[in-house]
Formats: sequence, structure tokens, C-alpha cells
Amino acid sequence: MANIISASHLTLGYGNNDADIIKNANFKIKKGDFVFITGPSGSGKSTLLRSFYGQLRPKSGNLLVGAQDMGKISKKKLQELRTHFGIIFQDYKLINEWSVAKNVVLPLVIAGYNADVQETQAKRLLKHVKLSEHADRLPLELSGGEQQRIGVARALAKNPTLILADEPTGNLDEYSSNVIWDLMENANEQLDATVVVVTHRIPNIFSIPYRHLIIENKGIYEVH
Amino acid sequence: MKYIKEHIMFIFPMLAILLGIESSMVFDRMSRDYEKDLKADYSMLVLANTPMKLSGFQQLDRRISSMSRIEKRTIVQEMAQGMSGISAEDIMQALPHFYTIHFGRYLDVQEIDKIKHALVASEGIEKVETFGKSHNSSYHLFIFIKVVLWTFVGFMTFTSLFLVIKQMEIWQFSHRERMQVMEIFGASTMLRSGILFKRAMIDALIATVLTSGLFAFLRFVWIKQSHIDLLMQKEALLFAYEDIAILGGIAMSIVITSVIIVVIGSKERKL
Repeated sequence: MANIISASHLTLGYGNNDADIIKNANFKIKKGDFVFITGPSGSGKSTLLRSFYGQLRPKSGNLLVGAQDMGKISKKKLQELRTHFGIIFQDYKLINEWSVAKNVVLPLVIAGYNADVQETQAKRLLKHVKLSEHADRLPLELSGGEQQRIGVARALAKNPTLILADEPTGNLDEYSSNVIWDLMENANEQLDATVVVVTHRIPNIFSIPYRHLIIENKGIYEVH
Repeated sequence: MKYIKEHIMFIFPMLAILLGIESSMVFDRMSRDYEKDLKADYSMLVLANTPMKLSGFQQLDRRISSMSRIEKRTIVQEMAQGMSGISAEDIMQALPHFYTIHFGRYLDVQEIDKIKHALVASEGIEKVETFGKSHNSSYHLFIFIKVVLWTFVGFMTFTSLFLVIKQMEIWQFSHRERMQVMEIFGASTMLRSGILFKRAMIDALIATVLTSGLFAFLRFVWIKQSHIDLLMQKEALLFAYEDIAILGGIAMSIVITSVIIVVIGSKERKL
């Protein structure tokens, strides 16, 4: 299987004069992998994830995402690359002025799909995350678990090749967390999407094979 | 309430810009109309030994736009009746040819003098007389007021533009999260700034309608009730329908420029 993410001697940090957060890291993530990245608070899990979607450029070393060198990628190429990603945030990052249905099809709006396609896909996705009856409501009228399901549906809207999730169950109760994990397992198995999840705890019940990377002392190591 | 306040904060500076521009356009029309009157008032009388054509005058000075020959036969015949032994034909032959010449635009005293000298220096032209009132000082006053007005409008536009950009930054701040989410999902600058464009365009349209409406009211309602003859005669100068298109075009250009300045100036922040 081809690598979808490849890092060699990767060093990350927010400013040239600030301390490095990740230092000299080497790892590869293959297409179709389900990867958990764990580590203590402040270890740089979210920072690493941000570098995958180009919000943070490497200080040194190489980071290839979908064959694009993230240190040199142009704004235009990055914009195009991001349309192949599904990103899930701990605090959902939904557009609160938009209806649930419109939030779900945001990637399709960006890709310029017509209203009919958007409507059909919104119905399909909301049925998939069991929120069909809330299509016309605003996100803030729903519970945290339901909002995160909208976030997952949005991430799946355009059949992404790579799903990046930053503590997707961090704010949720056990029941809602299990629903989210089920949806992510399905995405990996049925859509063949590569899934990278940053979390402080791997779920106890997880039915598909996965890889585990851990961040320790600024380095990234694989747990076997 | 907050929504209305946000719009008013944008519409007011836009109104200031558009009112300034419309006032300048009105004044410009008035000064052009005044120039037209001055130009129509003004002519030169040329006495030539040989018959002249317009092209002949224009060879001497390109600013000459038209000419007319003064018919002397009637006067000569009257003169001949009072004189014995001299026929009208003799007088006709003895008299030079008379022409009045007009110009394409209003000319100041210096320019008139130059043309006069050029004509007198030409072979065949005996004499040149200038007529018409001297509007030179009032014309210069007009030009001065025009320059002052444009300077004022320029300054006001600059200040208002600054306020427009500031208001747009406030809008951008209130929509920052939405725009950032869209950016993360790969939205182009145009798409994620759509909300700014939409809001600003609506407000620009409102400002255009208000400005045009005010000047249309002055032309079609207020002037008629004012009973000021001078204004009533010149009411068309106060507002023209094409002003709506000009103001709309200017308002849209300001909006597009401001959004682009604000959007380009903003950097992606981490979510």
C-alpha cells in the first residue's frame, strides 16, 4: 500500500525562536490505515495533526501528505489538497448560523455541487448519522454528541481519502463516543478512507485493526 | 439591533462618499453648463480683404470651431441711398469681408489674445475685434471652487474608505470562525469571503439608492416647490439617471476593493 503520510526528520514548532514541539520524527501512514496518535496533554498531538492539513509548516525535515511536500506546498495546492480531507474537531467547529443539513454538505458547497446533489447527499449523510429529523435545525439546538455526529457527517460528505480527527470524543459521554467510533470504523472499512485520530485514550472496544503512534519527549514512536 | 447598527456603520461612510461624488458631479455639470453659456456668448469679428473659408481659419488656429459670414448687402444698399454718385456695388467692393468666428470651448483672455494675434498676423486679415463679456474672473472662481470641492471630496472619500475597511474588519472578525472552517475544508478566498461581499454589496446598494433618491427628490420635488427661477431653469443639472449607474459602479468598486484589502490582509489562524 502507498504511503499517504510520510515524515522524515520532521521538526515542528510555532516560531523559529520557540522550543520545538515535535523533533526529528520519522513515521509513515499507509493508505487505508486506522491510526491512533496518543500522548500526554501538551505533547503536540494537535500540533502534529495541524501539520497534516497544512496549518503549520515543518520547521525542518520532510512531511509528505498525499505526495505533497507540506513544507513547500503553494496556497492553491493546499486548498485543493484540503478538499480531499475530512476533518473532525473536538469542539465540532460547525457553522452555527447554518442549518444542520447545510453544515453537513459544506465540502460539497465548496466543491461547487449543485443544490440537488447537496440535498440528496445531506439526506443520505444525516440518515447515516441518524440525525434525519434534525436537518432543518441549527447546530446549537442539538446536544454535544449530536453536534459531533454532524461533524463526522461533514467529514464524510465528499468521500475523503484522509480523515483527520482531533480528540473527536473529548467532550462526549460514553454512549455518544461509541457512536462516533462506530462511524469512524465504518468510514475506514467501507469507504477505504485512511483515518488518523488524535486522542488521549484509545477506546476499550474497537473492532477493527489499528495502529498506535505515541508522542513522547518530542519524538513519535509506534506501539506494537 | 446589533445587526442594524453594523449596517448603519457601513452605510454612513458609503453615503458620505457617494454624496460627495454626486455633489461634485452636479457642480461639474453646472460649471460645464456655465462654460457652454460663456462659449456661446463669445465671438470674434474678423475683417478680411479676401473671402475666407472655415478651413482657412482653422489652419490659423484649431480652436476655431465655426464661422459665419456677415451679410453686408442690406446695410450697403441703405448707405448707397444716402450718397449720390456712388453705387452700392462700389461700396460693396470697397468694403472688406466680415466674419464672426466661434470656438469649440471656452477660452480665457490669454488664449483669446493669442488667437487674435495669430489672425492679425495672417495675410488677408485686416482687423480682428473681440466681443462678449469678460467672464474671466468668475470663470476662475468656478475653477477654484471645483478644485476645492474635489479636494474636499477626495479627503472625505479617503477618510470614509478607512471607516468602510474598519467596519469590514469587524464583520470579518464576527465571521472569522465560519471563514476559518471553510478555509480548512479548502474553500477559495472568494467563496469564504462571500458573506462579506454579500453584506457590503447590499449596503452599497442601499447607499446608492439613498443618494440617488435624495438628488432625484431635489430635482423633481424640492426645486419645483422652491420657486427659485434660476434653479428651476437648470433642474436637469441636479440629477441625471446615469448618475445611478455611476454611483452604483463607484459603490461596488469601493466594496470589492475593501473586501479584497481586508481578506488579503488576514492570515490563517489555527483553529
